Amino acid sequence: MKVKFFALLRDITGVKETTDFTGTTLVELLEELSGHYGKEMTRWLFTPTAPDQEKQIGKDVIILVNGRAIEHLAGLETPLKEDDEVAIFPRLAGG
Amino acid sequence: MYGWVGQILRVNLTNGTVKKEALDPVEAKNYIGARGLGTRLWIKDCDPKVDPLSEDNNLIFMTGPLTGTMATNAGRYNVICKAPLTGAMAASNSGGYWGPELKYAGYDGIIFEGKSEKPVYLWIKDGEVELRCAEHLWGKDIIETTDTLKEETDFDARVACIGPAGENLVKFAGVINDYTRAAGRSGVGAVMGSKNLKAVVVRGTGAVKVADPDNFFAALTKARKMVAEHPVTGQGLPAYGTEILINILDQSGGLPVNNFRDSGTFPNADATSGETLAKTYLVRNKGCMGCNIGCGRIVNVPDGPYKGFGEGPEYEAGWSFGADCGVDDLAAIIKANNYCNELGMDPITLGSTIACAFELYEIGAITEKETGLPLRFGDAAAMVELTRQAAYREGFGNEIAEGSYRLASKYGHPELSMTCKKQEVAAYDPRVLQGMGLNYATSNRGGCHVRGYMTSPEILGLPEKLDNLVTEGKAEWTKIFQDLTAAVDSTGICLFLTFAIGAPEISEQIIAATGVDFTVEELMKAGERIWNMERLFNIANGFTKEDDTLPPRMLKDPVKIGPAKGHVNKLDVMLPEYYELRGWDAEGRPTPDKLKELGLQ
Repeated sequence: MKVKFFALLRDITGVKETTDFTGTTLVELLEELSGHYGKEMTRWLFTPTAPDQEKQIGKDVIILVNGRAIEHLAGLETPLKEDDEVAIFPRLAGG
Repeated sequence: MYGWVGQILRVNLTNGTVKKEALDPVEAKNYIGARGLGTRLWIKDCDPKVDPLSEDNNLIFMTGPLTGTMATNAGRYNVICKAPLTGAMAASNSGGYWGPELKYAGYDGIIFEGKSEKPVYLWIKDGEVELRCAEHLWGKDIIETTDTLKEETDFDARVACIGPAGENLVKFAGVINDYTRAAGRSGVGAVMGSKNLKAVVVRGTGAVKVADPDNFFAALTKARKMVAEHPVTGQGLPAYGTEILINILDQSGGLPVNNFRDSGTFPNADATSGETLAKTYLVRNKGCMGCNIGCGRIVNVPDGPYKGFGEGPEYEAGWSFGADCGVDDLAAIIKANNYCNELGMDPITLGSTIACAFELYEIGAITEKETGLPLRFGDAAAMVELTRQAAYREGFGNEIAEGSYRLASKYGHPELSMTCKKQEVAAYDPRVLQGMGLNYATSNRGGCHVRGYMTSPEILGLPEKLDNLVTEGKAEWTKIFQDLTAAVDSTGICLFLTFAIGAPEISEQIIAATGVDFTVEELMKAGERIWNMERLFNIANGFTKEDDTLPPRMLKDPVKIGPAKGHVNKLDVMLPEYYELRGWDAEGRPTPDKLKELGLQ
């Protein structure tokens, strides 16, 4: 699957997009990204929780799967397929 | 008075007289300042049916009670008049340093009446006010005009002026202050040009008094901390400017492409994004008076046909000259945007009008015989050339200068104008953002994103995420955004603050500054009063329910590709609910009970 990074996240990844990561659900993919890119990426992707607690999405990240915000899909449990596109943004605005 | 200076200037350009008038504190409480109070002052003096380019259309420059104070990002003022583009009320909002300087000189606002026989400019230095000849400035662009006026008056003076576009009565000419800050929309610069008023130059050495300095300082310190620590206002906007939105709108399917004809996704959108700008032409960021965001972009294109320094583009200009014209050359977009700053035009209406011309050309409604050059989506050079021509009404630019509604109508295809109430909508496809569609359709000044910025909840998740593709709840959210924005625009602070702070933090600052009890409820009520006042003006001017609509393309032609493929805007579902929530009748007219509640009988 294709994962795209935007804005400040590109400074962490050094690339605009990658196909190096997989997961059957969004949380699996994000854990892979977190493991690969380290603490700085983890801070964006997840809200800190105790080890025995369920993972929570970061409050300042926007994630789209095939152009739909995950709030309107199944959140972290959104199922992923090989041909899906995942876009990850830091919280941003303008106008 | 505290916050407000308590005095306005009335300048009659026909006979050259200047009067100082006291500001009515009751009116100030009811309409706050800037957009609200300026509109109220216009309505008290003028006939709603006045010809916008006649001498009877007053032109008002108005600040708010927080303008020029230490409140968060309080550099704003509004230019108010009846708009030549739309026939609706124009209240165009600008930042920079000019508004604060006017208050430091001792005035909340200026009302210009009549028309000067010859070009003039107004020079204000504290208590001294003088109309001066501007014949030597006529024809000069914004940079040369500003430089010359600072040399003639005071190097520290602030200049608000028009460029050639305003002089040539381009329907979407703006008033530009501090070289690059624009009261851009609806053609307020053309009204200034119609009065032969080239500039307003201000130097003030006074200060703005606040009612409760200790509580004011505590409130603004709290608000500034929230702004600095918020990821949007503390990180994203300073680093990337508003062009940061290109990619998320594209990825969401909401970036309009080729005059909204090919919406869904724009190939190579990233080439025109804030991220790309930051890595290529950005020199540094820039803020207005008292700003701790700094979303402005100082840019330099070092070589090539579009070589030069400038400022911007904002997201809307990046889209209108970019995806909407099918152009992905960022240097060309910067050049077109620089023309808008230097010649004094609104890039949203201009870019959208060029996109309309491209489509008219592609369907054969216009040919090279009329245009003088081939016009096709993606042609960056043609886009830049039409931008220049429009300011001077040169060649086909004379048609572009009328805006897309008049252009498309003249050539038999009004449906190709992407306008509401004859003003071009902005960079959010209403088929993909249902609530933004409702806002466009009901905006009192015609197509406009900043009357009720529904992108915030529908795409950006602020203050919470709403599903952009559904209509449920959108009427209520749109009303809240429109009313809050009317209040914020009237205080003199920057709307971008509302990404980080809410009505409570604004209320705390304005209460401490003015000593007037602007609770959150009172602030929202004032916003609703302002919205209804604007609506009453439009009704008196002949606007009806039929004008609360969207271009047919947005209601009938489904999005072709991308994540919102197949969607149209469902305005018919949202509009009746919106009228009901507003306390209006089925025809969109405020009911007697609503007017009584708001004190607008």
